Amino acid sequence: MIRFALALFAIVCLVLPAGAERLFSSVSTETVQITSSFDGERLTFFGTIAPDAGAEQKFVEGPFHVVVVVVGPTQDRVARKKTNNFGVWLNTEQVEFKGFPSYFHVLASTRLRDITDVNTLTTNYILPESHAISPNPAGWWQTLNFGHELIRLMSEQDLFGVQENGVLFHSESFYSAQLTLPSNAPPGPYIAQTYVFKDGEIVARKSDGFAVRKIDFERFVALSATQYPLLYGLACVALALFTGWLGGVLFRR
Amino acid sequence: MQIYLPIAELSVNLFFLVGIGGAVGFLSGLFGVGGGFLLTPLLIFSGVPTAVAVASVTGQVVAASTSGALSHYRRGGVDLHLAMYLVLSGIVGAFGGVAAFDLLREAGQLDLVISLGFLVLLGFVGVLMLQESVRALLKRRQGVVVRERQANQHNWIHGLPWRVRFKKSRLYISVLPVLLIGLFIGFVGSLLGIGGGFIMVPALVYLLRVPGSVVIGTSLAQVVAMMAATTVLHAVQSQSVDILLAFCLMVGGVAGAQFGAAAGMHLRGEQLRGLLALLVLAVAIRFGLSLVLTPDDVFSMAVTSVAP
Repeated sequence: MIRFALALFAIVCLVLPAGAERLFSSVSTETVQITSSFDGERLTFFGTIAPDAGAEQKFVEGPFHVVVVVVGPTQDRVARKKTNNFGVWLNTEQVEFKGFPSYFHVLASTRLRDITDVNTLTTNYILPESHAISPNPAGWWQTLNFGHELIRLMSEQDLFGVQENGVLFHSESFYSAQLTLPSNAPPGPYIAQTYVFKDGEIVARKSDGFAVRKIDFERFVALSATQYPLLYGLACVALALFTGWLGGVLFRR
Repeated sequence: MQIYLPIAELSVNLFFLVGIGGAVGFLSGLFGVGGGFLLTPLLIFSGVPTAVAVASVTGQVVAASTSGALSHYRRGGVDLHLAMYLVLSGIVGAFGGVAAFDLLREAGQLDLVISLGFLVLLGFVGVLMLQESVRALLKRRQGVVVRERQANQHNWIHGLPWRVRFKKSRLYISVLPVLLIGLFIGFVGSLLGIGGGFIMVPALVYLLRVPGSVVIGTSLAQVVAMMAATTVLHAVQSQSVDILLAFCLMVGGVAGAQFGAAAGMHLRGEQLRGLLALLVLAVAIRFGLSLVLTPDDVFSMAVTSVAP
Protein backbone atom coordinates (compact mmCIF):
# COMPACT_ATOMS: atom_id res chain seq x y z
CA MET A 1 0.00 0.00 0.00
CA ILE A 2 2.74 2.38 1.00
CA ARG A 3 4.63 1.42 -2.14
CA PHE A 4 1.59 2.23 -4.27
CA ALA A 5 1.13 5.60 -2.57
CA LEU A 6 4.80 6.45 -3.21
CA ALA A 7 4.45 5.50 -6.87
CA LEU A 8 1.36 7.66 -7.17
CA PHE A 9 3.17 10.56 -5.55
CA ALA A 10 6.04 10.16 -7.98
CA ILE A 11 3.67 10.20 -10.94
CA VAL A 12 1.95 13.33 -9.64
CA CYS A 13 5.34 14.96 -9.20
CA LEU A 14 6.25 14.15 -12.78
CA VAL A 15 2.99 15.38 -14.26
CA LEU A 16 2.93 18.57 -12.23
CA PRO A 17 6.44 19.88 -12.01
CA ALA A 18 7.05 22.28 -9.14
CA GLY A 19 6.90 25.51 -11.14
CA ALA A 20 4.17 25.22 -13.78
CA GLU A 21 3.60 28.54 -15.48
CA ARG A 22 0.91 29.95 -17.61
CA LEU A 23 0.97 32.97 -19.88
CA PHE A 24 -1.69 35.61 -20.30
CA SER A 25 -0.93 37.83 -23.26
CA SER A 26 -2.57 40.28 -25.57
CA VAL A 27 -1.95 42.73 -28.43
CA SER A 28 -2.83 46.41 -28.30
CA THR A 29 -4.46 46.40 -31.73
CA GLU A 30 -6.68 43.69 -33.16
CA THR A 31 -6.82 45.22 -36.63
CA VAL A 32 -4.19 47.49 -38.09
CA GLN A 33 -6.10 49.64 -40.56
CA ILE A 34 -4.43 50.80 -43.72
CA THR A 35 -5.88 54.15 -44.75
CA SER A 36 -4.57 56.54 -47.38
CA SER A 37 -2.35 58.22 -44.78
CA PHE A 38 -1.02 54.91 -43.39
CA ASP A 39 2.62 55.33 -42.51
CA GLY A 40 3.26 52.38 -40.26
CA GLU A 41 1.77 51.66 -36.86
CA ARG A 42 3.09 51.01 -33.40
CA LEU A 43 1.87 47.86 -31.68
CA THR A 44 2.29 46.81 -28.07
CA PHE A 45 2.43 43.20 -26.95
CA PHE A 46 1.99 42.66 -23.25
CA GLY A 47 1.31 39.86 -20.85
CA THR A 48 1.84 38.39 -17.46
CA ILE A 49 3.19 35.05 -16.31
CA ALA A 50 1.05 33.36 -13.68
CA PRO A 51 1.05 29.96 -11.94
CA ASP A 52 -0.73 27.28 -13.92
CA ALA A 53 -4.36 26.52 -13.11
CA GLY A 54 -3.77 23.32 -11.17
CA ALA A 55 -0.48 24.34 -9.60
CA GLU A 56 -0.17 24.70 -5.85
CA GLN A 57 2.12 27.70 -5.70
CA LYS A 58 0.78 31.24 -5.52
CA PHE A 59 3.70 32.99 -7.16
CA VAL A 60 5.86 32.24 -10.13
CA GLU A 61 9.57 32.19 -9.68
CA GLY A 62 11.82 33.72 -12.26
CA PRO A 63 13.99 34.81 -13.76
CA PHE A 64 11.97 34.52 -16.95
CA HIS A 65 12.81 35.47 -20.48
CA VAL A 66 10.18 36.33 -23.03
CA VAL A 67 10.46 36.10 -26.80
CA VAL A 68 7.71 37.47 -29.04
CA VAL A 69 7.79 36.28 -32.66
CA VAL A 70 5.58 38.26 -35.05
CA VAL A 71 4.94 36.50 -38.35
CA GLY A 72 3.08 37.99 -41.31
CA PRO A 73 1.19 36.19 -44.09
CA THR A 74 3.30 33.77 -46.12
CA GLN A 75 4.19 34.16 -49.77
CA ASP A 76 6.29 32.37 -52.33
CA ARG A 77 9.41 34.43 -52.78
CA VAL A 78 12.47 34.12 -54.96
CA ALA A 79 15.96 35.36 -54.28
CA ARG A 80 17.90 36.10 -57.45
CA LYS A 81 21.55 36.65 -58.08
CA LYS A 82 23.09 38.72 -60.83
CA THR A 83 26.26 37.52 -62.44
CA ASN A 84 28.47 39.16 -65.00
CA ASN A 85 28.08 37.58 -68.44
CA PHE A 86 30.33 39.09 -71.09
CA GLY A 87 30.22 42.47 -69.35
CA VAL A 88 26.48 42.53 -68.74
CA TRP A 89 24.93 41.89 -65.35
CA LEU A 90 22.07 39.40 -65.58
CA ASN A 91 19.86 37.57 -63.12
CA THR A 92 21.12 34.06 -63.70
CA GLU A 93 20.58 32.10 -60.50
CA GLN A 94 17.50 31.94 -58.37
CA VAL A 95 16.11 29.96 -55.48
CA GLU A 96 12.44 29.92 -54.65
CA PHE A 97 11.25 29.79 -51.07
CA LYS A 98 7.69 28.50 -50.77
CA GLY A 99 5.59 29.73 -47.88
CA PHE A 100 8.12 32.31 -46.82
CA PRO A 101 6.90 34.85 -44.24
CA SER A 102 6.31 38.30 -45.70
CA TYR A 103 7.01 39.78 -42.29
CA PHE A 104 9.04 38.38 -39.40
CA HIS A 105 10.17 40.21 -36.31
CA VAL A 106 11.57 38.78 -33.12
CA LEU A 107 11.41 40.73 -29.89
CA ALA A 108 13.35 39.33 -26.96
CA SER A 109 14.10 40.37 -23.40
CA THR A 110 17.81 39.76 -23.82
CA ARG A 111 20.24 38.25 -26.30
CA LEU A 112 18.71 35.15 -27.85
CA ARG A 113 21.80 33.00 -27.31
CA ASP A 114 21.68 33.86 -23.61
CA ILE A 115 18.06 32.69 -23.45
CA THR A 116 18.42 29.23 -24.94
CA ASP A 117 20.43 27.10 -27.35
CA VAL A 118 20.38 27.41 -31.13
CA ASN A 119 18.57 24.11 -31.54
CA THR A 120 15.54 25.23 -29.55
CA LEU A 121 15.53 28.56 -31.39
CA THR A 122 15.62 26.86 -34.76
CA THR A 123 13.06 24.14 -34.14
CA ASN A 124 10.56 26.70 -32.83
CA TYR A 125 11.16 29.04 -35.81
CA ILE A 126 12.42 31.83 -33.60
CA LEU A 127 15.50 32.60 -35.69
CA PRO A 128 14.87 34.23 -39.09
CA GLU A 129 17.25 31.71 -40.62
CA SER A 130 15.01 28.81 -39.62
CA HIS A 131 12.64 29.80 -42.43
CA ALA A 132 15.36 29.54 -45.02
CA ILE A 133 16.66 26.07 -44.25
CA SER A 134 13.62 24.02 -45.14
CA PRO A 135 14.28 21.39 -47.83
CA ASN A 136 14.48 22.92 -51.27
CA PRO A 137 15.07 21.42 -54.72
CA ALA A 138 17.92 23.90 -55.21
CA GLY A 139 20.19 21.96 -52.86
CA TRP A 140 21.19 22.80 -49.32
CA TRP A 141 24.20 24.98 -50.13
CA GLN A 142 22.32 27.24 -52.57
CA THR A 143 19.37 27.33 -50.19
CA LEU A 144 21.55 28.36 -47.28
CA ASN A 145 23.31 31.01 -49.33
CA PHE A 146 20.25 32.51 -51.01
CA GLY A 147 18.19 32.19 -47.85
CA HIS A 148 20.78 34.22 -45.98
CA GLU A 149 20.71 36.91 -48.68
CA LEU A 150 16.92 36.90 -48.81
CA ILE A 151 16.77 37.52 -45.06
CA ARG A 152 19.27 40.35 -45.47
CA LEU A 153 17.17 41.94 -48.24
CA MET A 154 14.02 41.59 -46.14
CA SER A 155 15.83 43.14 -43.16
CA GLU A 156 16.91 46.09 -45.29
CA GLN A 157 13.25 46.74 -46.04
CA ASP A 158 12.45 46.45 -42.34
CA LEU A 159 10.32 43.37 -43.01
CA PHE A 160 12.59 41.06 -41.03
CA GLY A 161 14.35 41.91 -37.82
CA VAL A 162 15.51 40.82 -34.41
CA GLN A 163 15.33 43.21 -31.47
CA GLU A 164 17.13 41.61 -28.57
CA ASN A 165 16.09 44.33 -26.15
CA GLY A 166 12.55 44.57 -27.50
CA VAL A 167 10.80 43.03 -24.49
CA LEU A 168 10.75 44.96 -21.22
CA PHE A 169 9.97 43.41 -17.84
CA HIS A 170 8.09 45.80 -15.57
CA SER A 171 8.02 43.34 -12.70
CA GLU A 172 9.14 39.76 -12.16
CA SER A 173 6.25 38.49 -14.30
CA PHE A 174 4.79 41.41 -16.26
CA TYR A 175 6.29 42.34 -19.59
CA SER A 176 5.54 44.53 -22.57
CA ALA A 177 7.07 44.79 -26.04
CA GLN A 178 6.69 47.47 -28.68
CA LEU A 179 6.91 46.94 -32.40
CA THR A 180 6.59 49.49 -35.18
CA LEU A 181 4.94 47.94 -38.19
CA PRO A 182 6.41 49.63 -41.30
CA SER A 183 4.19 51.09 -44.02
CA ASN A 184 5.25 48.36 -46.44
CA ALA A 185 4.05 45.60 -44.10
CA PRO A 186 1.91 43.35 -46.33
CA PRO A 187 -1.80 43.15 -45.49
CA GLY A 188 -3.11 39.86 -44.14
CA PRO A 189 -3.30 37.79 -40.98
CA TYR A 190 -0.44 38.10 -38.50
CA ILE A 191 0.45 35.86 -35.59
CA ALA A 192 2.36 36.91 -32.52
CA GLN A 193 3.77 33.80 -30.85
CA THR A 194 5.00 34.45 -27.32
CA TYR A 195 7.43 32.05 -25.61
CA VAL A 196 8.34 32.16 -21.93
CA PHE A 197 11.76 30.70 -21.14
CA LYS A 198 13.12 29.65 -17.80
CA ASP A 199 16.59 28.19 -17.54
CA GLY A 200 16.73 27.75 -21.28
CA GLU A 201 13.48 25.77 -21.47
CA ILE A 202 10.15 26.86 -22.85
CA VAL A 203 7.78 26.84 -19.89
CA ALA A 204 4.78 28.52 -21.49
CA ARG A 205 3.65 29.74 -24.87
CA LYS A 206 0.68 31.50 -26.38
CA SER A 207 -0.23 32.89 -29.76
CA ASP A 208 -2.27 35.99 -30.46
CA GLY A 209 -3.53 37.01 -33.86
CA PHE A 210 -4.04 40.39 -35.38
CA ALA A 211 -4.82 41.53 -38.90
CA VAL A 212 -3.40 44.19 -41.17
CA ARG A 213 -6.19 45.27 -43.43
CA LYS A 214 -6.84 47.92 -46.03
CA ILE A 215 -10.04 49.79 -45.25
CA ASP A 216 -12.31 52.30 -46.93
CA PHE A 217 -10.87 53.67 -50.16
CA GLU A 218 -7.68 51.55 -50.15
CA ARG A 219 -9.73 48.40 -49.67
CA PHE A 220 -12.14 49.44 -52.39
CA VAL A 221 -9.33 50.10 -54.86
CA ALA A 222 -7.46 46.89 -54.10
CA LEU A 223 -10.64 44.83 -54.31
CA SER A 224 -11.77 46.34 -57.59
CA ALA A 225 -8.33 45.88 -59.10
CA THR A 226 -8.36 42.16 -58.39
CA GLN A 227 -12.06 41.30 -58.70
CA TYR A 228 -13.21 43.59 -61.51
CA PRO A 229 -9.98 44.22 -63.42
CA LEU A 230 -11.72 45.20 -66.65
CA LEU A 231 -13.95 47.79 -64.99
CA TYR A 232 -11.01 49.01 -62.94
CA GLY A 233 -8.90 49.47 -66.07
CA LEU A 234 -11.72 51.33 -67.82
CA ALA A 235 -12.13 53.55 -64.76
CA CYS A 236 -8.40 54.34 -64.85
CA VAL A 237 -8.67 55.32 -68.50
CA ALA A 238 -11.79 57.43 -67.88
CA LEU A 239 -10.01 59.20 -65.04
CA ALA A 240 -6.98 59.83 -67.23
CA LEU A 241 -9.05 61.18 -70.12
CA PHE A 242 -11.02 63.41 -67.77
CA THR A 243 -7.92 64.75 -66.04
CA GLY A 244 -6.25 65.44 -69.37
CA TRP A 245 -9.34 67.17 -70.75
CA LEU A 246 -9.84 69.21 -67.56
CA GLY A 247 -6.19 70.27 -67.61
CA GLY A 248 -6.57 71.47 -71.18
CA VAL A 249 -9.71 73.44 -70.31
CA LEU A 250 -8.31 74.96 -67.12
CA PHE A 251 -5.06 76.14 -68.61
CA ARG A 252 -6.30 77.20 -72.02
CA ARG A 253 -5.65 80.86 -72.67
CA MET B 1 2.80 64.16 -46.47
CA GLN B 2 2.80 60.41 -47.06
CA ILE B 3 0.20 58.71 -49.18
CA TYR B 4 -0.40 54.95 -49.21
CA LEU B 5 -0.56 53.40 -52.67
CA PRO B 6 -3.02 50.50 -52.50
CA ILE B 7 -1.60 48.42 -55.35
CA ALA B 8 2.09 49.16 -54.88
CA GLU B 9 1.46 48.53 -51.15
CA LEU B 10 3.84 51.16 -49.88
CA SER B 11 3.60 54.78 -48.86
CA VAL B 12 5.29 57.52 -50.83
CA ASN B 13 5.53 61.26 -50.32
CA LEU B 14 2.61 62.90 -52.13
CA PHE B 15 4.58 66.02 -53.03
CA PHE B 16 7.35 63.92 -54.48
CA LEU B 17 4.89 62.15 -56.79
CA VAL B 18 3.14 65.33 -57.93
CA GLY B 19 6.57 66.97 -58.22
CA ILE B 20 8.10 64.40 -60.56
CA GLY B 21 4.81 64.30 -62.46
CA GLY B 22 5.03 68.07 -62.87
CA ALA B 23 8.71 68.10 -63.84
CA VAL B 24 8.22 65.39 -66.44
CA GLY B 25 5.00 67.09 -67.58
CA PHE B 26 6.95 70.31 -68.12
CA LEU B 27 9.45 68.50 -70.32
CA SER B 28 6.72 66.65 -72.18
CA GLY B 29 4.91 69.92 -72.87
CA LEU B 30 8.17 71.50 -73.96
CA PHE B 31 9.13 68.74 -76.37
CA GLY B 32 5.71 67.42 -77.31
CA VAL B 33 6.31 63.89 -76.05
CA GLY B 34 4.40 61.85 -73.49
CA GLY B 35 7.20 61.69 -70.96
CA GLY B 36 6.73 58.02 -70.10
CA PHE B 37 10.35 57.31 -70.95
CA LEU B 38 11.40 59.63 -68.10
CA LEU B 39 8.68 58.83 -65.60
CA THR B 40 8.93 55.03 -65.61
CA PRO B 41 12.67 55.03 -64.81
CA LEU B 42 12.20 57.74 -62.15
CA LEU B 43 9.53 55.68 -60.40
CA ILE B 44 11.57 52.48 -60.56
CA PHE B 45 14.50 54.40 -59.19
CA SER B 46 12.44 55.68 -56.24
CA GLY B 47 11.42 52.21 -55.10
CA VAL B 48 8.09 51.58 -56.83
CA PRO B 49 8.01 47.95 -58.07
CA THR B 50 8.86 47.82 -61.80
CA ALA B 51 5.57 46.19 -62.77
CA VAL B 52 3.48 48.80 -60.96
CA ALA B 53 5.57 51.66 -62.34
CA VAL B 54 5.23 50.53 -65.95
CA ALA B 55 1.50 49.80 -65.71
CA SER B 56 0.62 53.00 -63.86
CA VAL B 57 2.64 55.27 -66.12
CA THR B 58 0.58 54.07 -69.10
CA GLY B 59 -2.41 55.66 -67.34
CA GLN B 60 -0.52 58.90 -66.78
CA VAL B 61 0.56 59.03 -70.44
CA VAL B 62 -3.11 58.93 -71.48
CA ALA B 63 -3.82 62.00 -69.36
CA ALA B 64 -0.68 63.84 -70.45
CA SER B 65 -1.45 63.33 -74.15
CA THR B 66 -5.21 63.98 -74.02
CA SER B 67 -5.12 67.77 -73.74
CA GLY B 68 -2.51 67.99 -76.49
CA ALA B 69 -4.42 65.64 -78.78
CA LEU B 70 -7.66 67.59 -78.23
CA SER B 71 -6.12 70.96 -79.04
CA HIS B 72 -4.49 69.53 -82.18
CA TYR B 73 -7.80 67.98 -83.17
CA ARG B 74 -9.59 71.33 -82.89
CA ARG B 75 -7.00 72.87 -85.16
CA GLY B 76 -7.47 70.04 -87.65
CA GLY B 77 -4.04 68.56 -87.00
CA VAL B 78 -5.13 64.93 -86.62
CA ASP B 79 -5.38 62.45 -89.47
CA LEU B 80 -7.99 60.16 -87.92
CA HIS B 81 -7.85 57.71 -90.80
CA LEU B 82 -4.11 57.21 -90.38
CA ALA B 83 -4.41 57.16 -86.58
CA MET B 84 -7.04 54.41 -86.80
CA TYR B 85 -4.69 52.13 -88.75
CA LEU B 86 -1.92 52.82 -86.27
CA VAL B 87 -4.14 52.21 -83.26
CA LEU B 88 -5.67 48.96 -84.51
CA SER B 89 -2.30 47.41 -85.27
CA GLY B 90 -0.96 48.97 -82.09
CA ILE B 91 -3.54 47.18 -79.96
CA VAL B 92 -2.46 43.87 -81.47
CA GLY B 93 1.11 44.80 -80.58
CA ALA B 94 0.03 45.76 -77.07
CA PHE B 95 -1.47 42.30 -76.52
CA GLY B 96 1.92 40.85 -77.36
CA GLY B 97 3.71 43.39 -75.21
CA VAL B 98 1.58 42.75 -72.13
CA ALA B 99 1.93 38.98 -72.57
CA ALA B 100 5.71 39.34 -72.89
CA PHE B 101 5.67 41.59 -69.83
CA ASP B 102 4.01 38.86 -67.77
CA LEU B 103 6.30 36.09 -69.05
CA LEU B 104 9.40 38.15 -68.33
CA ARG B 105 8.20 39.06 -64.87
CA GLU B 106 7.76 35.41 -64.02
CA ALA B 107 11.18 34.57 -65.42
CA GLY B 108 12.78 37.35 -63.40
CA GLN B 109 14.14 39.09 -66.47
CA LEU B 110 11.69 42.01 -66.65
CA ASP B 111 14.13 44.58 -65.29
CA LEU B 112 16.84 43.40 -67.63
CA VAL B 113 14.64 43.63 -70.72
CA ILE B 114 13.32 47.02 -69.68
CA SER B 115 16.87 48.31 -69.19
CA LEU B 116 18.00 46.82 -72.50
CA GLY B 117 14.93 48.10 -74.30
CA PHE B 118 15.40 51.62 -73.04
CA LEU B 119 19.10 51.50 -73.84
CA VAL B 120 18.70 50.32 -77.42
CA LEU B 121 15.62 52.33 -78.26
CA LEU B 122 16.57 55.58 -76.59
CA GLY B 123 20.19 55.31 -77.68
CA PHE B 124 19.21 54.76 -81.29
CA VAL B 125 16.54 57.46 -81.42
CA GLY B 126 18.70 59.88 -79.41
CA VAL B 127 21.65 59.58 -81.75
CA LEU B 128 19.42 60.01 -84.82
CA MET B 129 17.71 63.05 -83.38
CA LEU B 130 20.95 64.66 -82.27
CA GLN B 131 22.49 64.13 -85.69
CA GLU B 132 19.49 65.62 -87.42
CA SER B 133 19.21 68.66 -85.18
CA VAL B 134 22.94 69.43 -85.27
CA ARG B 135 22.82 69.26 -89.05
CA ALA B 136 19.82 71.58 -89.10
CA LEU B 137 21.51 74.01 -86.71
CA LEU B 138 24.68 74.09 -88.81
CA LYS B 139 22.72 74.63 -92.01
CA ARG B 140 20.81 77.50 -90.47
CA ARG B 141 24.06 79.06 -89.39
CA GLN B 142 25.35 78.77 -92.95
CA GLY B 143 22.20 80.48 -94.18
CA VAL B 144 20.70 77.50 -95.98
CA VAL B 145 16.90 77.40 -95.92
CA VAL B 146 15.78 74.07 -94.53
CA ARG B 147 12.83 72.63 -96.38
CA GLU B 148 10.46 70.72 -94.16
CA ARG B 149 9.34 68.24 -96.78
CA GLN B 150 9.98 67.62 -100.38
CA ALA B 151 6.74 66.80 -102.13
CA ASN B 152 8.16 64.39 -104.69
CA GLN B 153 10.61 62.68 -102.40
CA HIS B 154 9.88 58.97 -102.39
CA ASN B 155 11.64 56.01 -100.89
CA TRP B 156 11.33 52.24 -101.12
CA ILE B 157 8.36 52.26 -98.74
CA HIS B 158 6.23 53.96 -101.34
CA GLY B 159 6.66 51.02 -103.70
CA LEU B 160 4.86 48.48 -101.46
CA PRO B 161 1.45 47.03 -102.34
CA TRP B 162 -2.02 47.59 -100.71
CA ARG B 163 -1.97 51.32 -101.07
CA VAL B 164 -4.51 53.42 -99.23
CA ARG B 165 -5.23 57.13 -99.62
CA PHE B 166 -4.88 59.23 -96.46
CA LYS B 167 -6.54 62.50 -97.44
CA LYS B 168 -5.49 64.68 -94.56
CA SER B 169 -1.85 63.64 -94.79
CA ARG B 170 -1.98 63.96 -98.58
CA LEU B 171 -0.51 60.47 -98.81
CA TYR B 172 -1.19 57.48 -101.03
CA ILE B 173 0.88 54.72 -99.50
CA SER B 174 0.88 51.05 -98.66
CA VAL B 175 -0.73 50.10 -95.33
CA LEU B 176 2.06 47.62 -94.56
CA PRO B 177 4.57 50.11 -93.10
CA VAL B 178 1.76 51.87 -91.24
CA LEU B 179 0.62 48.63 -89.63
CA LEU B 180 4.19 47.59 -88.85
CA ILE B 181 4.95 50.90 -87.14
CA GLY B 182 1.73 50.60 -85.12
CA LEU B 183 2.50 47.00 -84.18
CA PHE B 184 6.05 47.79 -83.11
CA ILE B 185 5.09 50.82 -81.04
CA GLY B 186 2.21 48.96 -79.43
CA PHE B 187 4.53 46.14 -78.40
CA VAL B 188 7.39 48.29 -77.17
CA GLY B 189 5.12 50.86 -75.54
CA SER B 190 3.24 48.35 -73.41
CA LEU B 191 6.42 46.51 -72.52
CA LEU B 192 8.36 49.59 -71.45
CA GLY B 193 5.49 51.78 -70.22
CA ILE B 194 6.10 54.55 -72.72
CA GLY B 195 3.78 56.24 -75.18
CA GLY B 196 6.28 55.94 -77.97
CA GLY B 197 5.72 59.46 -79.27
CA PHE B 198 9.44 59.93 -79.66
CA ILE B 199 9.58 56.90 -81.98
CA MET B 200 6.28 57.59 -83.69
CA VAL B 201 7.11 61.16 -84.74
CA PRO B 202 10.40 60.33 -86.51
CA ALA B 203 8.81 57.22 -88.06
CA LEU B 204 5.92 59.23 -89.48
CA VAL B 205 8.19 62.00 -90.71
CA TYR B 206 11.09 60.04 -92.15
CA LEU B 207 9.48 56.77 -93.21
CA LEU B 208 5.97 57.74 -94.26
CA ARG B 209 6.64 61.42 -95.09
CA VAL B 210 3.58 62.61 -93.21
CA PRO B 211 3.46 66.43 -93.43
CA GLY B 212 4.56 68.36 -90.32
CA SER B 213 1.14 69.91 -89.76
CA VAL B 214 -0.49 66.61 -88.84
CA VAL B 215 2.47 64.62 -87.44
CA ILE B 216 2.26 65.73 -83.80
CA GLY B 217 -1.53 65.64 -83.63
CA THR B 218 -1.79 62.20 -85.21
CA SER B 219 0.96 60.83 -83.01
CA LEU B 220 -0.72 62.23 -79.89
CA ALA B 221 -4.12 60.82 -80.87
CA GLN B 222 -2.49 57.45 -81.48
CA VAL B 223 -0.72 57.60 -78.09
CA VAL B 224 -3.99 58.37 -76.26
CA ALA B 225 -5.86 55.46 -77.84
CA MET B 226 -2.94 53.04 -77.60
CA MET B 227 -2.10 53.80 -74.01
CA ALA B 228 -5.75 53.67 -72.99
CA ALA B 229 -5.96 50.16 -74.42
CA THR B 230 -2.65 49.22 -72.79
CA THR B 231 -3.83 50.48 -69.39
CA VAL B 232 -6.89 48.24 -69.60
CA LEU B 233 -4.73 45.30 -70.73
CA HIS B 234 -2.31 45.79 -67.84
CA ALA B 235 -5.21 46.12 -65.41
CA VAL B 236 -6.68 42.83 -66.61
CA GLN B 237 -3.49 40.87 -67.12
CA SER B 238 -1.00 41.89 -64.43
CA GLN B 239 -3.38 43.83 -62.14
CA SER B 240 -0.58 46.22 -61.35
CA VAL B 241 -2.14 49.54 -62.33
CA ASP B 242 -2.16 51.76 -59.26
CA ILE B 243 -4.91 54.29 -59.87
CA LEU B 244 -3.79 56.50 -57.00
CA LEU B 245 -0.20 56.58 -58.19
CA ALA B 246 -1.34 57.29 -61.74
CA PHE B 247 -3.65 60.06 -60.56
CA CYS B 248 -0.93 61.83 -58.53
CA LEU B 249 1.34 61.74 -61.58
CA MET B 250 -1.49 62.93 -63.86
CA VAL B 251 -2.26 65.98 -61.74
CA GLY B 252 1.38 67.06 -61.74
CA GLY B 253 1.85 66.09 -65.37
CA VAL B 254 -1.15 67.89 -66.80
CA ALA B 255 -0.27 71.13 -64.98
CA GLY B 256 3.42 70.88 -65.83
CA ALA B 257 2.70 70.25 -69.50
CA GLN B 258 0.94 73.60 -69.86
CA PHE B 259 3.96 75.52 -68.56
CA GLY B 260 6.25 73.41 -70.70
CA ALA B 261 4.23 74.19 -73.81
CA ALA B 262 4.40 77.91 -73.00
CA ALA B 263 8.17 77.73 -72.48
CA GLY B 264 8.51 75.85 -75.76
CA MET B 265 7.31 78.91 -77.67
CA HIS B 266 10.60 80.65 -76.94
CA LEU B 267 12.78 77.95 -78.52
CA ARG B 268 13.26 77.03 -82.15
CA GLY B 269 12.28 73.61 -83.44
CA GLU B 270 15.75 72.25 -84.02
CA GLN B 271 16.96 73.60 -80.67
CA LEU B 272 14.11 71.77 -78.98
CA ARG B 273 14.88 68.57 -80.85
CA GLY B 274 18.56 68.89 -79.96
CA LEU B 275 17.75 69.27 -76.28
CA LEU B 276 15.30 66.36 -76.39
CA ALA B 277 17.96 64.25 -78.09
CA LEU B 278 20.41 65.01 -75.27
CA LEU B 279 17.78 64.12 -72.68
CA VAL B 280 16.92 60.86 -74.43
CA LEU B 281 20.61 59.98 -74.69
CA ALA B 282 21.17 60.75 -71.02
CA VAL B 283 18.42 58.30 -70.02
CA ALA B 284 19.84 55.70 -72.42
CA ILE B 285 23.32 56.06 -70.93
CA ARG B 286 21.91 55.79 -67.42
CA PHE B 287 20.29 52.46 -68.37
CA GLY B 288 23.40 51.31 -70.17
CA LEU B 289 25.53 51.95 -67.09
CA SER B 290 23.11 50.01 -64.90
CA LEU B 291 23.72 46.98 -67.12
CA VAL B 292 27.51 47.06 -67.20
CA LEU B 293 28.53 48.61 -63.88
CA THR B 294 28.87 46.28 -60.90
CA PRO B 295 25.52 46.52 -59.10
CA ASP B 296 25.47 47.65 -55.45
CA ASP B 297 23.75 44.41 -54.61
CA VAL B 298 23.96 41.35 -56.81
CA PHE B 299 21.02 39.82 -54.95
CA SER B 300 17.41 40.81 -55.41
CA MET B 301 14.08 39.34 -54.42
CA ALA B 302 10.55 39.15 -55.73
CA VAL B 303 7.23 37.70 -54.69
CA THR B 304 6.13 34.97 -57.06
CA SER B 305 2.72 34.30 -55.60
CA VAL B 306 0.78 35.11 -52.49
CA ALA B 307 -0.23 31.97 -50.67
CA PRO B 308 -3.98 31.86 -49.98
